[in-house]
Amino acid sequence: MLLSPWQRALRIGLAWAVVLAFAFPIFYWLTVAFKPDGDIFSVPPRVFGFEPTVQSFEEVFGISLGFERGLEVLPGGGNFYMLPRLWDSVVVALFSTALAVVIATLAAYPLSRMRFRLQHHFVFWVLSTRMMPPVAVAIPMFFIYKNFGLLDTYTGVILIHALMNMPLAVLLLKSFFDDIPVEIDEAALIDGASRFKIFRKIVLPMAMGGVAATAVLCFIFSWTEFLFVLTLTQTSLKTVPVVSSTFVTSTGTAWGNMAALGAAAMVPAFVFILLVQKNLVRGLTLGSLKQ
Amino acid sequence: MNNGDRKLYLASVVDRYVRGQIDRRAFLRTAGKLGLGAGMLGVSSLVPFGGRGGFISPAAAQTIQYSDDMTAWLKETAKPFAGQTVRLATESTPPSNAINSALKPYFEEATGIKVEIEVLPLEQVLQKLTLDVASGLGTYDLYYLDQSWMASFSGDVIDPREKYAAKPDLAMPNYNFDDFLPALVDGISMYDGIMVGVPYDIPIFIQMYRKDVYDELGLKVPATMGEFLANAQAIQKAKGPSIYGTTGQMKSGHYSLECDWTAWLWGHGGSVFGPDGKFAGNDDQGLAAIAYWQKLKENMPSGVTSWTWDGQGQSVGQGLAGQVLSWGEFFPSWDNPESSKVSGLMEAAVPPKADALRTVSETGYGEIPGVGHQGGSSLAVSKYSKSQDAAWLFAQWATAQETQVYITVLGGGTGPTRSSVYDDARVKANAKPGIAGTTRHLDAVRETIANHMGSEPDLPEWAEISNDTIPVELGRFWAGEYDSPKAVMDSIKDKVDGIIAG
Amino acid sequence: MRMNAVSLRLPRPFISDHPLPWLLPLIAILVVFALYPFFYNIWLSAHEFIPRKRGLDFVGFDNWVKLFADPRMWNALWVTLFYTGVCLAIEVTLGMAIALLIDSDDPGFGILRGLLTLTLVIPPAITGMMFLLMEDAQFGIIAAFLGDVGLIAPQTAILAEPSLALWGVVVADVWQWTPFMVLIFVAGLRALPSDPYESAMIDGASGWQTFYRLTLPMMGKVIAIAVLIRGIDLFRMFDYVFVMTSGGPGTATYTLSLYAWQQTFSFIKWGYGATISLFALFIVLLVAHLFVSLTKVRW
Repeated sequence: MLLSPWQRALRIGLAWAVVLAFAFPIFYWLTVAFKPDGDIFSVPPRVFGFEPTVQSFEEVFGISLGFERGLEVLPGGGNFYMLPRLWDSVVVALFSTALAVVIATLAAYPLSRMRFRLQHHFVFWVLSTRMMPPVAVAIPMFFIYKNFGLLDTYTGVILIHALMNMPLAVLLLKSFFDDIPVEIDEAALIDGASRFKIFRKIVLPMAMGGVAATAVLCFIFSWTEFLFVLTLTQTSLKTVPVVSSTFVTSTGTAWGNMAALGAAAMVPAFVFILLVQKNLVRGLTLGSLKQ
Repeated sequence: MNNGDRKLYLASVVDRYVRGQIDRRAFLRTAGKLGLGAGMLGVSSLVPFGGRGGFISPAAAQTIQYSDDMTAWLKETAKPFAGQTVRLATESTPPSNAINSALKPYFEEATGIKVEIEVLPLEQVLQKLTLDVASGLGTYDLYYLDQSWMASFSGDVIDPREKYAAKPDLAMPNYNFDDFLPALVDGISMYDGIMVGVPYDIPIFIQMYRKDVYDELGLKVPATMGEFLANAQAIQKAKGPSIYGTTGQMKSGHYSLECDWTAWLWGHGGSVFGPDGKFAGNDDQGLAAIAYWQKLKENMPSGVTSWTWDGQGQSVGQGLAGQVLSWGEFFPSWDNPESSKVSGLMEAAVPPKADALRTVSETGYGEIPGVGHQGGSSLAVSKYSKSQDAAWLFAQWATAQETQVYITVLGGGTGPTRSSVYDDARVKANAKPGIAGTTRHLDAVRETIANHMGSEPDLPEWAEISNDTIPVELGRFWAGEYDSPKAVMDSIKDKVDGIIAG
Repeated sequence: MRMNAVSLRLPRPFISDHPLPWLLPLIAILVVFALYPFFYNIWLSAHEFIPRKRGLDFVGFDNWVKLFADPRMWNALWVTLFYTGVCLAIEVTLGMAIALLIDSDDPGFGILRGLLTLTLVIPPAITGMMFLLMEDAQFGIIAAFLGDVGLIAPQTAILAEPSLALWGVVVADVWQWTPFMVLIFVAGLRALPSDPYESAMIDGASGWQTFYRLTLPMMGKVIAIAVLIRGIDLFRMFDYVFVMTSGGPGTATYTLSLYAWQQTFSFIKWGYGATISLFALFIVLLVAHLFVSLTKVRW
């Protein structure tokens, strides 16, 4: 639609206002990460007016930005332990995303291209696996995992996160494949190409934007998941959401430390999003091309 | 300056910094001038940069030096278990945090036993333990047991006294069970004649107040419930709303609300249960307690109904409250000049005397009325563990006198469970105002444990009653959903008696 | 015949036109991770954990009888449905409005869309803590702001006020998930064909008419799927109430997920916890099924 210059200016202004309103809590959280302990709480609450310090980051990551740190008692009780936890989060999110996307892509293709009996119900069943309250999945999984030695392992968490994302991934990918005209497949079939070849050489490359968009969402859901990781891990790995709860101690919550971890944890996920940002918007069409 | 002088000077600067006489900036500037950049300050005896949890005075850091006896015994006894791993799931409490961040390496080095400590908030520890005992899989070797879970887990642990006697070769010399404060052993470790675990930590309600405010208004430390309320009203009147009379931990549906309630209940001669095993909070004493609490709440900040111990602690640390009856473990953090606005201004005292107090025989399920509500915990060895002996070694070491001394001086606010720790010279040396690792509240803590301690009843249903039934209904009451104290107490009685009846 | 040569090297099943080989990995993982827990919960719901013997006892339909007579459960169901409905309504409406606003090729809008995704990468457990702090009566910036502009009384404990607590949680949810809707809607808008819009402009249709007559119908499927995905997640919402209100004040924000968790882990009533979970599952299934039928989504 054509807009007059002032309408355009208004739109830009409004858009920035909205986005900044959404960004404000994050900004506020960042200030908490950089506030000295005494300034996090004040009456009345303040956003500005403090001397920024990196102490929270030093404590959380056991690093030294100024001078060495030594023996001390920290909330959550461990120095030098948050960087490995960030790494755990990255590993879990990346691998579970990869697994979910591969399996979901394979499944989405026939769901888009072939017709079979009860197909609609099958898709609904896939979707329904996301409907169970997580606590109900966590308990049986705990016993299976214990029996198969998957408890407290990367493999275990990766598998459960892949499962958790499967319905979403299948649904999204199917709609992306739906956007690609089926005539292309038919032409290739007549030329004698196998289904798999069509899938790999033609359809998949065309749907790459959608695959990227799916990957981002899977990544985000794995990155932020709480209850499965809490139940299925012990000490050998922990992701950011679970480990951040260790800052809730019996003598009070270490807000600065928690904010610092939260701030740092935004970076890898955001980088991942930026890398696929273009595809994200282009890809998330949910089949709307074919109305 | 030669190197020695420089170190001396630095030590004095560090000391001033620790006492809050100079701020962090000034300290850094001075340190920088001395040419002590990153590397030099890494010397472990000169590291005063504590976190919220604790602030280590240089003196304390130097004293982490276990006796040769301990080291030799650990080395010798642990030989068969070297290479084993013991796992512990624990709440994020001062002793666990101190062990995990500072003391654990010593134990691991001396014994060759690997220690993995999973630190979680209270509810999540319960979740982990529940899964572990229900499956009997022994995924943890040690349990951190809050006193309110004692009954639920009494069948899943090894009695430490039996273990001590049964395995003399593993028994730590001078471990001395009698050194544990007797009231604590009763209150947090014993259930039905079984010693469920070793007393590990003792957060307990003591009275803490602002000396400056008290002096200004000419108030004296309350000795009775009535005086406590009168002081709160006086402070509120003179200073409110910038300083409230008192504060609380009254979040609906949270265990902390139940803790506050029991203190007022017991303080008015009431009890949770009667000798018949039925809920008794709706009797006259119980209703008097609520009436008192209502008056007290008028002198609290509006946020109390959304606060757990976290918000309560912050409100005092920010100078919002003139006095409080709450966990003694807060005290050191309020003295921390870095995070608190009331550093050096707080004083600790025993709780006000109860108007009347029931005896244990007038209550049910081993409930011990007392204004000093205790939230202690014990460390237990799991019956399902596959490395019970290694776990038992760790449990002895973690609760040994020496370890408790270090935990206490490292800061964080622990309440030691051994009598000898309160008398230890190193602990007493830290009883200075204005430092985060202060121990100057411990006299009040010890006195409270001996004479004012209140313990919750022990029954398997208690976890549900104390974490849900009572705090949810009380939360409703404070949100105005009940017409009267009588209505809410009657409703709680119905529910609690129903749960116990099954 | 070149194609044939290639085909020979492929794993045989994938040459077929039958969907099964393609779906097998998916079915396998779903059977293990979804079907097994489902049946396990059905079995569990006929049992109850007996603390004293550390084992399960068969109780038949007792848990189901208890469930239907449990006022706490009905309250939780009502809270959950209300919460889901309110959040969905706000997130869809606001999400669509913002999507229309920032769906532009003008310079700067790419950055805006990027900034908006930031809210998604913060774990809900941490988001809960953020809003807990910001909605605090004394120390919270949101409470202070709302008090200053007169929307609420000064220093109101938002999360402890029965009439406000649920909205306090809704704010966190809306803040975190509206951008998710925006992302999906922007993508949908971008993919719309431009021909109908050109003819609408020639006909002189107003902006509102264009939106109502053209955009909305064409976006129908996108909106339906977005509502479905988000609605399912909303119904299971756990992290926010767990962190922010513990279900309080009273039971004003007690959701089914929280209640099931509480029964399972705090009270060690596994059977009853499983029963609540199953009941929640049936409700979502029912609602989702109705929704799919009504919106005529076909897969």
